[in-house]
Amino acid sequence: MSGHIERPRTTCALGGAITTLSLLPGVIPVTHSAIGCGGNLYGAIATCAGNLGEGTIGGSHIPSSAIGERDVVFGGVDRLEEELRATKEIMDGKLVVVATGCMTEMIGDDVQGVVRELEEDDIDVIAISTASFKGDAYRGYEIALDGIFNRYLPATKEKKQKLLNIFGIVPGFDPFFRGDLEEIRRLLKKIGFEVNTFFTGDQTFENITSAPEASYNLLFSSVWGRELVETFEERHGTPYGIYDLPIGAVATEEFLRRIGTELAVDQELLEKVIQEENNHYYSYFLRAADIIANGQYFYYAEIIANSNYAIPLQKFVSEELGWHADDIFVTDILKEEKANALRKHFEESDVQGELLFESGTSEIGRLIAKRHPRNQGQRYFDSDTPLFLLGSGIDKYTASELGAQTLAVSYPVSNRLICSKGYAGFEGGLHLLEDIISVLVAGK
Amino acid sequence: MENYYNQPIPPVRDQRLQIADSFHGCGCNVSDCSKSGCMLRNNRSFWQTNACQMSLSLMMCATVENAVIIIHGPIGCGTQLHNLSSATTKGKADRGLTAKPVPWLSTNLQEAEVITGGEKKLKETIAYADRTYRPEIIFVVSTCAPNIIGDDVEQIVEQASREVAAQVTAIHCPGFKSRVVASAYDSFYHSLIRHIGFQAIPYKDFTPAFVPSLSNEIGEKSWNYKVAHTVNLFNATSIGPSDEAEMARLLNALDLNVQIYAEYSNADKFRLIPQAALNVSLCNMHDDYMLSYLEREYHMPYVIAGMPIGPVATRKWLLEVASRFDLQERANRFADEEEKLLADAVEPYLPKLKGKKVLLGGGSVRVAAESIFLKSLGMEIVGLRGYNYDSNADPVFDDLAKELPDVPVAISNQAYEFVNQVKTYQPDLIITHNGSQQIPAKLGVPSIQLFDVGGSYFGYNGAFQLVRKMIFALENDHFQKNLAKHAQFPYKESWYEKDPFTYHKEG
Repeated sequence: MSGHIERPRTTCALGGAITTLSLLPGVIPVTHSAIGCGGNLYGAIATCAGNLGEGTIGGSHIPSSAIGERDVVFGGVDRLEEELRATKEIMDGKLVVVATGCMTEMIGDDVQGVVRELEEDDIDVIAISTASFKGDAYRGYEIALDGIFNRYLPATKEKKQKLLNIFGIVPGFDPFFRGDLEEIRRLLKKIGFEVNTFFTGDQTFENITSAPEASYNLLFSSVWGRELVETFEERHGTPYGIYDLPIGAVATEEFLRRIGTELAVDQELLEKVIQEENNHYYSYFLRAADIIANGQYFYYAEIIANSNYAIPLQKFVSEELGWHADDIFVTDILKEEKANALRKHFEESDVQGELLFESGTSEIGRLIAKRHPRNQGQRYFDSDTPLFLLGSGIDKYTASELGAQTLAVSYPVSNRLICSKGYAGFEGGLHLLEDIISVLVAGK
Repeated sequence: MENYYNQPIPPVRDQRLQIADSFHGCGCNVSDCSKSGCMLRNNRSFWQTNACQMSLSLMMCATVENAVIIIHGPIGCGTQLHNLSSATTKGKADRGLTAKPVPWLSTNLQEAEVITGGEKKLKETIAYADRTYRPEIIFVVSTCAPNIIGDDVEQIVEQASREVAAQVTAIHCPGFKSRVVASAYDSFYHSLIRHIGFQAIPYKDFTPAFVPSLSNEIGEKSWNYKVAHTVNLFNATSIGPSDEAEMARLLNALDLNVQIYAEYSNADKFRLIPQAALNVSLCNMHDDYMLSYLEREYHMPYVIAGMPIGPVATRKWLLEVASRFDLQERANRFADEEEKLLADAVEPYLPKLKGKKVLLGGGSVRVAAESIFLKSLGMEIVGLRGYNYDSNADPVFDDLAKELPDVPVAISNQAYEFVNQVKTYQPDLIITHNGSQQIPAKLGVPSIQLFDVGGSYFGYNGAFQLVRKMIFALENDHFQKNLAKHAQFPYKESWYEKDPFTYHKEG
C-alpha cells in the first residue's frame, strides 16, 4: 500500500481537500504551500474528473501563501497571515479554509495559531491539515468535511425529522458526483425528504450550516467518510447508514425499500414511487432490449474502479445486463483496515466476482492477461471473449492490448465531458445503459 | 555564464538571472527596470495558486520517446501527468512517432519516509521501472519534499546508472525555491547534460575509419559538409509540429538541414546534437542554459534572436541564422517573396481587425513579439501580461519600448489581476496562455490561444493562421456573451474598483 504507485488514480490530501472545498458554496480554500501545488493539482482535477473545470473558486482563483525558500527556512506563518488578511478583503465568501501542503507540515508552521488570531473578523477562518504524505485525495475529502462539519459548525441536538445529509460520494474523484447526488436527492424527495447534497448547483451555504440539524446521514461508501459520520454522530447526535451507490432499477429498488424500512417511510407512498420509477425505467430499457438481444451484446466484463463505484458497477452489469464479470479491481489506495472493511461488505452482499486490490495500470493489464489467458492456437479454448473494460480513461491502452471494448467511468476520465450525468438511481441506470451500448454500436 | 553544469543541482532562474513576477509599468520601462534591478524587488501581499517548474519539466520529459518518469515525492505531485501525457501522446502522433503514453510512477513518500528519507524507495522504484518497462531513459523528477529532507537524488541516480539497463537522470524541481516556472527549461536541460550526454558512439552512430582511403576521405568530407550545413532548432512545449515544420521550411529554402531538439527526441537522437554547425533558439527565455553549454563544451555557436511571429520578426530571425552561413542575400530575397505573398493573403482581413482592442497574456517574449505584430496589422494593444520575466527577455522588450512605449505592461500570472484588467481595459479580443481561456470567456470577451500546439503560429504560415483565428473569434462571440450573463467570479465588487496591482509591494 505504501510502495511506489504507477499512474496513481488520485492526488494528495491537499488535492482532495481543495476539490471538495472549491465545490462547497460560500467556502474559499486557501493553500498554505508552494505556489505550484494548487495549480498542479488542478491540472489533474479540472480535466481528469470528466473535465470538471475550475468553477467559480477553483484552480487559478484559489488563494495561496505561495511560500518560498525563506519561509521554508524561517517559517511561513507571517506570509500566511498576510495572505489571509488580503483574502478577506478581496474574496467573496462565508468561510475561509486553509489547507496545508507537505512543506508547511514538514516545517511545522503553527497554522491553527494564525487562524485563531483572525477569529474576530467578519469572515470565519479555519485550518485543516492536509499533508500529502499522510493521505491521498479521498482522505483530503474526509479531512475537509471533518473540519467544517465536526469542528467548525457548533454542535446541535435540534433535529429536522425530514432533513437528510449525503456523504461518501467524493467530488471529482467520483467523476459523476453531481448527477449521482441529484438523482439520489430526487428519489429521496419523492418519498418525502429534504436533502443536503452540498455539492450540486442548487446548494447554498445554508445547506452547510443546516447539516447538523439533519436527522440522518446517508454514507454512500463502505470506505470513505466512515470516521466523518461517526464523529458527526458523536458531536451532533445524527445517526448514519452505509449504502452502496445504487445503479439501475434493481439496485435502486432495493435501496429505496431499505430506506423505507430504516426511516419509516409511508409504505403506500414508497410502493407508488417504486412503481412509477420502474414503469419509467423499463419503458426505455425494454426498447433498448431489442439491440442488446439482437446484437448479442453480452460480454465478459472487467471492472476497474474506485471502492465507491466498483461493486455497484459490477452489480449493474451482472444483474441487469446479464454479463459475466469475474474481476473487480479496486483502484484506490486502501490501508489494510479499509480494504478489509470493503472485503467484508462485499462478502456480505450477493454480488458475484472476485475483489482485487490493485491500482497500477500496467499491473492490472498483466493480471487480467494472467487470470484469463488468451487462445494461443488451441482448437477448443474457453477464453474471456468478447471482453469489456469498465474502467478509467487510462485503461484504454490496456483494452486495446486485450482487444476489448472500453468505457471510462472512473477517475481519471479526461476523454469524456461529464456535466449533469450520473449513473446512480433509475435515471443513472439508463445513462450507463446508453453509454455502454453506445460503445458497442459506435462502429455501425 | 557561470559554470553551473558541473553542479549536481542546477540553479533556479532567480539565482542566475534577474527575474520578476510582480511588476507593472509600461512598454517604455520594462527592460530599463530589468536592467536597473528595480523589477527584481517586487512581490505581492496576495497570491493565487499557479503552476511550478515541475509541471513544465514533466511536460518536457513526457515528450521523450521510450522514457519512464519517476516522480520522487508524495502521491499528489505530478498527477497532472494524466492530463499532460495525453497532450504529449498526441504530440508524438502528430510528429509521426509511436503514440504511446509515457509510463510514470510516484514513489508515494509516506510520513515515515519524510522523517527517515526516501532514498531506499527511490532506488527500488528505479529498479522496478527498469525491469518492468525496459525504457531507454528514466527521468527521476525530484519534488519539494526530497529537497527539504535532503535526499541525495544525484548520488542515487549515479549509482542506479551503473546498475540498470536504462540511462537514468534527474530533473530537480524544488517548487518552493522559485515561483518562476521557466526554471523548468534549465532543470530539464541540466538532466540531459549531466547524465544523458551528447557523445556519438562508435559503431552505433558512426563507423570509425582506421585506414586512409579515397572512399573514407569522400565519406568524411561529405559528412563534414552535411554537419557544416545543419542547424539544430530548439522547440518547446508551446511550439507545435506545424511551427517546427514552418521554421524548417524557411531554413531548408536556404539549403540548410534541420534537426529538432529537445522535445519529442530520444536517446539516440540526443547523441547527435553536436553534429551540427549552429544551435538556434525560438524564444529568448527558453534555451540559453543549454546553448551556452553546447558553446562551452562543443564550441557550437548559437543564435537567440526573438520569436518568429509576424513577418518582421521572422525576417530578423531568419537573417540572423543566414548571416552565420553568409546567406543574407538569399534570405532577404526569400523573405521579400514570402512577405509579398503573406501581405496579399492578409490584406482582405485588415479592415475587420483595424482598431480592435487586444489584451495579451502569457510568456513574456511571446506577448511582446505578438503585440508588435498585431500593432502592424492596425490593432490597438491595450495591455500585456507577461507571466514571468527574466533578463533574457530584455532585447525583445527593447523593441517593445520603441514600438509600443505607452502600452501598460504587467508581469502577472494572477487570476484576480487578470479579471480586474479585463474589466478595466475592456478589450475586444484577448490572446492568452492555454489554461486561462475560461476567464475571458466568462467575462464575455472572445479569446484565442497565445500559442497553438495543434495549429500554427510561427513564420509566414503562422502569421496568416493567426489572422484567421482572430477573425473567427471576433465574428461570433455568442458563446462568451451568453456565459457572461451567468458567470460568477469569487471576488467582491469592491475589488473591481481598485487598481489591478493594489497588492504589489516591495520585498
